[in-house]
Amino acid sequence: MKKIIFYLFFVIMAATLPYYAGGYLLHVSTTILIFMSLSLSWDMMLRTGQLSFGNAGFFGLGAYASLISVSNLDIHPVLSLFFAAVFAAGVALVVGFAVLRLRKIYFAITTLALALVFEVIVMNLSDLTGGSSGRVLPQAIFGGNSVLIYWLILFITIIVILISELLNKSKTHYAINSIRNDEITARSSGINVFKYLVFVFVFTSAIQGIIGGVYTQQYAFVMPESTFSLDFLLLPIAMALVGGIYTTMGPILGAIFLGLISEYLKLIMPYGHLFIYGLIIVIVILFLPEGIYKVARKKYRNRKSQEVKLDASSEGK
Amino acid sequence: MKINQKKTSWLFAILFFIVIIVGIWDASALIYGLQRGSLYALIALPLAMVLGIMDILNLAHGELLTVGLYASYVLFINFSIDPLISTLPVFIFLVILGGIIYFLTIKKVLGEGHLPQLLLTFGISIMLIELIKIYWTTRPRNVYRAYASSSITIGNFRIGSYEFLYVFLAFAVFLLLKLFLKKTRLGQAVYAVGQNPRGAEIVGINVDLVYLFIFCLSSGILGLTAGVMLPRVSIFPLTGNPFSLISFALVAMAGMGSINGILLAGITLGIAEAVIQAIPGYGGWSDLVFFGVLIAVIMAKNIQEA
Amino acid sequence: MKKLSVVGIIFLLVVITLSLSFQIRADEDPIKIGAVNPLGDITGRQSTNAMELAVKELNEAGGLLGRPVELIVIDSELRPEKGASAIERLATSDEVDFFVGGMASSVHLAQIPTLKRYEKITVWIGAASHAIEEAVGPDEDWYFHLHPWDYQQGASYAYGWKDIEEKHPEVQIDSLFLAYEEGAFGTDSYESYQEYFESAQEGEGPYADLMEDFSGVSFVSAAHGGGDYRAMLRQAMNYDPDLFIWAGYDADAVPMLSQVREIGFSPPIYAGSPPGWPEDFGDSPLAENVVFFGMWAKSLNEVSPVAQHFWDEYIAMHDDEPVTYFAPLGYTNIHFLAKGVENAGTLEKEAVIESLREIEYDSPVGTTLKISPSRIISNQGFSEQKIIQWQDGVQEIIWPFDVATSEIIYPYEW
Repeated sequence: MKKIIFYLFFVIMAATLPYYAGGYLLHVSTTILIFMSLSLSWDMMLRTGQLSFGNAGFFGLGAYASLISVSNLDIHPVLSLFFAAVFAAGVALVVGFAVLRLRKIYFAITTLALALVFEVIVMNLSDLTGGSSGRVLPQAIFGGNSVLIYWLILFITIIVILISELLNKSKTHYAINSIRNDEITARSSGINVFKYLVFVFVFTSAIQGIIGGVYTQQYAFVMPESTFSLDFLLLPIAMALVGGIYTTMGPILGAIFLGLISEYLKLIMPYGHLFIYGLIIVIVILFLPEGIYKVARKKYRNRKSQEVKLDASSEGK
Repeated sequence: MKINQKKTSWLFAILFFIVIIVGIWDASALIYGLQRGSLYALIALPLAMVLGIMDILNLAHGELLTVGLYASYVLFINFSIDPLISTLPVFIFLVILGGIIYFLTIKKVLGEGHLPQLLLTFGISIMLIELIKIYWTTRPRNVYRAYASSSITIGNFRIGSYEFLYVFLAFAVFLLLKLFLKKTRLGQAVYAVGQNPRGAEIVGINVDLVYLFIFCLSSGILGLTAGVMLPRVSIFPLTGNPFSLISFALVAMAGMGSINGILLAGITLGIAEAVIQAIPGYGGWSDLVFFGVLIAVIMAKNIQEA
Repeated sequence: MKKLSVVGIIFLLVVITLSLSFQIRADEDPIKIGAVNPLGDITGRQSTNAMELAVKELNEAGGLLGRPVELIVIDSELRPEKGASAIERLATSDEVDFFVGGMASSVHLAQIPTLKRYEKITVWIGAASHAIEEAVGPDEDWYFHLHPWDYQQGASYAYGWKDIEEKHPEVQIDSLFLAYEEGAFGTDSYESYQEYFESAQEGEGPYADLMEDFSGVSFVSAAHGGGDYRAMLRQAMNYDPDLFIWAGYDADAVPMLSQVREIGFSPPIYAGSPPGWPEDFGDSPLAENVVFFGMWAKSLNEVSPVAQHFWDEYIAMHDDEPVTYFAPLGYTNIHFLAKGVENAGTLEKEAVIESLREIEYDSPVGTTLKISPSRIISNQGFSEQKIIQWQDGVQEIIWPFDVATSEIIYPYEW
C-alpha cells in the first residue's frame, strides 16, 4: 500500500509541476518526458532480446502523420495523435513481418536502414510532406499553452510507464523474458515467438509514433533533417542504458538524470559542455555498467535482507 | 572469424548483374562506384574486424577516422609532410591511440554484451567530436595537392585517376590481411580467438593480447586510409561520423566475419549509388537505393523461419 | 518501501532543478538581451563574440537609457527542443527584455511557438528558410528578421548579374545550372530557382532575360557523408551552362573544385553560395576566380568605415579574425536593437517597434539596414546579398557596384 502512496505522491508532484515551477523547468520537464517515453518504448522492445534502431523512423512517421492529418484533414491535434499511432503501428506491422525474422545486429541495422528509407521517401514526396524544407502548422497544439502541452505529455508518459510495468508484471512478461534468454527453448516450450515479437514491435512503434506526433504538435513543424534526427534514436538508448535496461525505473531515472545534467552543464559551461556530457556517459558505463537504478537497488537490498538480495541478482541479469 | 564463401555468392550475383548493365550504359558510373565502394570497404574493414573477432560494437569508429584525418592535416600544415607520406606516422599514431582507448575503456566492457559497448563508444564519440570542435572549431579544413585532381584520358574518355588509390589500397589491405590470417602464427591465433575465444584460451593463446592487437591494427588501418583520403576530402569534426553508419551497413550486408564480403558489399553499394546518381533527375533517390539494396541483401541472407 | 532509495534520488534531482530554476538575480538594473546561438558551431561562436563586442561598446559609451546592457547567451546545441528551452529560460529565469540569435531553420521553427507566447521584441539574424516566415505569420509586429529569405537571395543575384552584364558586355548569361545539396538548404534554393525559371519563361520576374534555360541536379553534401560530385558535374558539363551555381556547405567547396579539374569542367562563371569558406581557402590555387554570393567580405573594410571599425575591434577583443558573415550580423543585431531603444527613449514595446522600423543603420556588412515588409512578415531587414569573387586569395566585392572593391574576372579559368 505504501508503495502506491509513494507513486501517487510522485504523480501528483509531477502533475502540479506547472504551479510551482517556472516556464523553463516546465519546458525541460516536457522534453525529459518525451525522451523518457521514447526510452521506455525502446527498452520494451529490448526486453524481447531485439535491439531496435528504428525509433527515430517511427517517431518521424508519427510526426508527419500527425501534422498532415491536422493540416490536410483538419482534425483536432489531439485526435491526430491517434492517427500518428495507427499509422506508425500500421507501418510497423507491415515491415515487422519481414524484419522480425532477423536477429541481433542484422535486425538492428535493418531497422536503422528502414528509418533512413522512411526519411528519403518523406523527403521525396514533397507535395504531401513539403519535401526537405518541411511544413509548418499555423499554431502549436492548445494555442501553444505550455501547461496543457505538459499535461498532455505527462498523461501519455504515465500511460507508457503503466504499459511498461504491465509488460513486466503480466504473463506476457514471462514469454518475453524467455524469448530473450533462450529463444530456442522458448519456442520448444510452445511460445509463439514471432507473434510476441510482432506484438511488442507494433505497440512500441505506436508509442514512438504518438511521441513524434506530440513533439510535432508542440513545435508546429516538421523537417526531415530534424524530425528524423538520430538524436531521437541515440539519446533514448543512452538514457535507458544509463538508468538500467529491462526495467521501468531505469529509463525513467536515465531520462531525468541525462536530461537535467545536459541542461545544468550548459548553464555552468557554455562552451564544451557536451564533452563533459560524453565523459559522464563513459564514466557511468565503466563504473555502473548495470545502470543507476540497478546499482542503487542492489545497494539498498544488500543492506536490507538476504532474501531480497538473491532476488536482485537473479533479476539483475 | 569465419571467412564465409557460400554467403558471398549472393553478392556476387547482384554485383555481376549490375556491372553488366552499367558497363553497357555508362562506364564512368561503374568506375566512380568502384572507387567509392573501395573506400567504403576500406573504412568498414576495421569495424568488421573489431566486431567479428572481439564482438565489440564500436560507435566511435568514424571518429577514429576523423582523428586520423586531423593528425595527417597537422603533419601537413606544421611539417609540410605530404598526406601520402604521412600515412605511416598516422598509422602508428592511431595504433597507439587505439591501444590507449582499448586499455582505458574497451577492455572493461569485453564480453559485457553489445549494449554497454554501444553506450561507451557513443560517449567516446561525443568526447572526440567535442574535443576537435573546441580546438579546431567546425570550420572545414583542406589540404591542397594538385595530384588529387589528376585524370587520365583514353580517347575522349576522361576519368579521375587519384581515387584508384582507394581501389589499390583496399585490395592490398584485404590481401595482406588474408595472408596474415592464414600464414602467420599470430594470424592463426586471431582466427582461433575469432572462432571461439574460450577454446583459444584453453589451448594457450593470450586472448587479451590478440584483442589488443586487433583493436590497434584496426585503428591503424583507419589512419592509413585517412592519409590517402585527406587530399580529396574536407575535414571537420563530423567528417568521419557518417562512415560509422556506412560501415555498419557493409558489415551487416557482408555477414558477420566475412572479409571477402566486405569488399564486395562495398563495391556493390558504391556502384548502386553511383548508377542512381548518374541518372538525370533521380540523384535524390540514391540513398534509397543504397539502403534498399542493403535491406534486400540482409533479408535474403538472414531470414529465419519463424 | 523497497524503492525508498530510488525515491530519494529522484527527490534530490527535483530539488536541484527547482533551485536552478528559482535562481534569483539580485541585480535587476541592466537591460537584458537574451541570445540563443549554436555555440559549438563556428557561425554561432563568432556571432556570439560579435554580440559581446557590441554590448561592450554600448556599455563603454554609457549603456542604454542610462542603464547597463547585459547579454545572456545560451547554446542551442543545434537541437530544436534545446533552442526552445533556451527561450523559456531567458524569458522566465533571466527575464530578458529582448531576444536575439541565431542559426538553423529547424531550431528557430521550434522556438516560434514559445516566442509567440512571450511576444517580446525579437531580432533574428539567421534562419533563412521561407518556412519560418509561414510559421511566424503576418500579425506579429514584434518579430524582426534580418537575414534575407531564401527567395529574396535568388532575386538579388539576378539584379546583380543583369548589372554586371550591362557593365561588361563580354559577360553573357542565358543558361543556368544549379547543383544543390539534397537537404533543406539546397532544395530550397532549387525550388526558388525553379519558380524564377517558370516566370522567366513568361518574360517575368527577376530572371526574365537571364534564364532562357535552366537545369539542376542534386548531390549529397560532404557535410552529410557525401563528397563525390562527379556524377553531378558530368551532367553539368554536358549541359554546358553560362553560369554554374552550387548550393552546398563550406565542406563541399574544395572537394568539388578539385573534382571540377579532374572532370575537365570549365564554365564561364563558377559560383557558389556556401555559408562560409574553409580555413585557408584563399591560399589554395583552387580558389582563384571562384564567385560566390554572400553578405560580407573582409575587403569591405576598404569601402566601409563601419566594417573596418568592426574588423579591428573584433580582433582586438577576441584575438581571432571574423570568418563568417554571421559575425558582422551578430554585431549588427545588437547595435540595431540598441539604436531602436535609444531612439524610442523607452523600453515600451510599441515605441521600440515603431522606432526600429524607422532606423537606417549603417551596418558592417556594407549595406544600410532598413526594415521593410517581405512576402508575409512586416519587419524584414536585409533583402540583398552581394556577389563576391576570389581574386589573388582575397574576397573582392563585385556587386553591388557602390561597395565594389574590384571588377569581375571573366571567364573563370584554371
